[in-house]
Amino acid sequence: MPEAATAVKTVELKILRYRPASDERPAFGSFKVPYTEDMSVLEALQTIKDTLDGTLSFRWSCRMAVCGSCGMMINGKPQLACNTLLRNLPPGPVTIEPLNNFPIERDLVVSVGDFVKKIESIYPYIIPKEPKTVAEGPYLQTPAQLAAYESFSDCINCMLCYAACPQFGENPNFIGPGAMALLQRYNGDSRDGGQQKRLDTIHGEDGVWSCTAVGYCSEVCPKQVDPANAVNQNKTNSAFDFFLRFLRPGGAR
Amino acid sequence: MSQFVQEKRSISPLFWLPFGAGGMLSALFGPALILITGILAPTGFLLPQSFESYDHARAFAQNPLGKLVLLAIIALFLWHGAERIFLTLKDMKAGPLLNLKYATYGVAAAVTVVTVLLLLAVGF
Amino acid sequence: MSERRPYRRPMSPTWWANPPYRAYTLRELTGVAVAIYGLVLFFGLVCLALGPGAYDGYLAFLRSPFSIVLHLLLLAAMVYHVVTWFETLPKTQPKLIVDGKPFPAKKMTDIAIKVGAGCSLVLLLIAIWVGR
Repeated sequence: MPEAATAVKTVELKILRYRPASDERPAFGSFKVPYTEDMSVLEALQTIKDTLDGTLSFRWSCRMAVCGSCGMMINGKPQLACNTLLRNLPPGPVTIEPLNNFPIERDLVVSVGDFVKKIESIYPYIIPKEPKTVAEGPYLQTPAQLAAYESFSDCINCMLCYAACPQFGENPNFIGPGAMALLQRYNGDSRDGGQQKRLDTIHGEDGVWSCTAVGYCSEVCPKQVDPANAVNQNKTNSAFDFFLRFLRPGGAR
Repeated sequence: MSQFVQEKRSISPLFWLPFGAGGMLSALFGPALILITGILAPTGFLLPQSFESYDHARAFAQNPLGKLVLLAIIALFLWHGAERIFLTLKDMKAGPLLNLKYATYGVAAAVTVVTVLLLLAVGF
Repeated sequence: MSERRPYRRPMSPTWWANPPYRAYTLRELTGVAVAIYGLVLFFGLVCLALGPGAYDGYLAFLRSPFSIVLHLLLLAAMVYHVVTWFETLPKTQPKLIVDGKPFPAKKMTDIAIKVGAGCSLVLLLIAIWVGR
């Protein structure tokens, strides 16, 4: 492979820039960087920051689709920048924008505070069915019981699903796909007894009932978590709870 | 003790369950129903035109089981459509939500009530 | 130096009409066909209650070319509804574990579509048998 020949080739990135101190509103800026066959969008951004414009802001960490930091809109689709190779994109300029449906802090960096609050609100930990002391030994689980929730535990909090969800765009208070996937990770765990508690946090209009089963959240998920399944199976649960609560002691609220 | 205020329970399940029932009923039998009542019987193809004659339709509507079938199909199909049309109009921001609700759930509710009255009126 | 002024980009008012949401909107609009068919049956019931004269008018409508074309369109929309309904169905169900492994949603959809087609076919055959 002649190194010099490949280095001549360039790729253009159109990046939505926003610097709150100086810009009234976001606007596109264009950058050209040398292109290589094995280059990810994240590497292109890093090249821009290192060689063209040090003020370009974006989040990244692991470079291997585990940390969930580098989610952004690439040609209009929510994707991880580290996981998206330039060679797999159609020829021509690549459009890069911050994740849809989130307030932009600066350039490609969006606000994550609301998302973190939502995650905290659904009791994201195991609430044991029957508390055990250490002496009584561990909580056991069969492989089948693990399979019931395992995929939901693969979520990396990258928020691509939120950028894919038009109902979250319309209603920022909607609990949204990601937090629901985490809720189902615990609700589906055989060791957990907190189902009712969590169901009570999502029975409102801003809970599962904002979802209209668009399903795009599951399509863009880089970890095949299927958050649409997490939301919609709990719609079923919440609907039955609406009526069955009258049969529960103290449930008629 | 929770630091989060629990949100008021939504009444959406009241609309979502009939939507789901209507969706399932139409997914299982919808194509056959349209074929039978709207295409085969009117054209006399595979089915005699007398299939849905006045006498036959009346006998069907007077049978208690027939009444139940008619009520289930008419009411649930309308509640199914109402939910989907309401949510789509909401996505389209076609108007104030209350108006959209009257135009969708309102129609479904009215049709349900009138259907019950008509099924009683045709006798047993 | 540092200034925080989060900028919220407005959603396109026509997001529902464009990819990737167009298929979703089409799926939802099958509800119009389901409701129209419900209304056709409802008006049949109204005419039935009004008497033989009114019901003959209803039958004449059903035999009109307009009604036949309408029902063919309703049938097409209904078939699309059947397919998309069963594609969405696995999303509303708890994860099904078979032999210790999650059962693929795609397979569940395939089975459900076959069951749906079977139900319609059985109903059709019963109608043809009764109408002999």
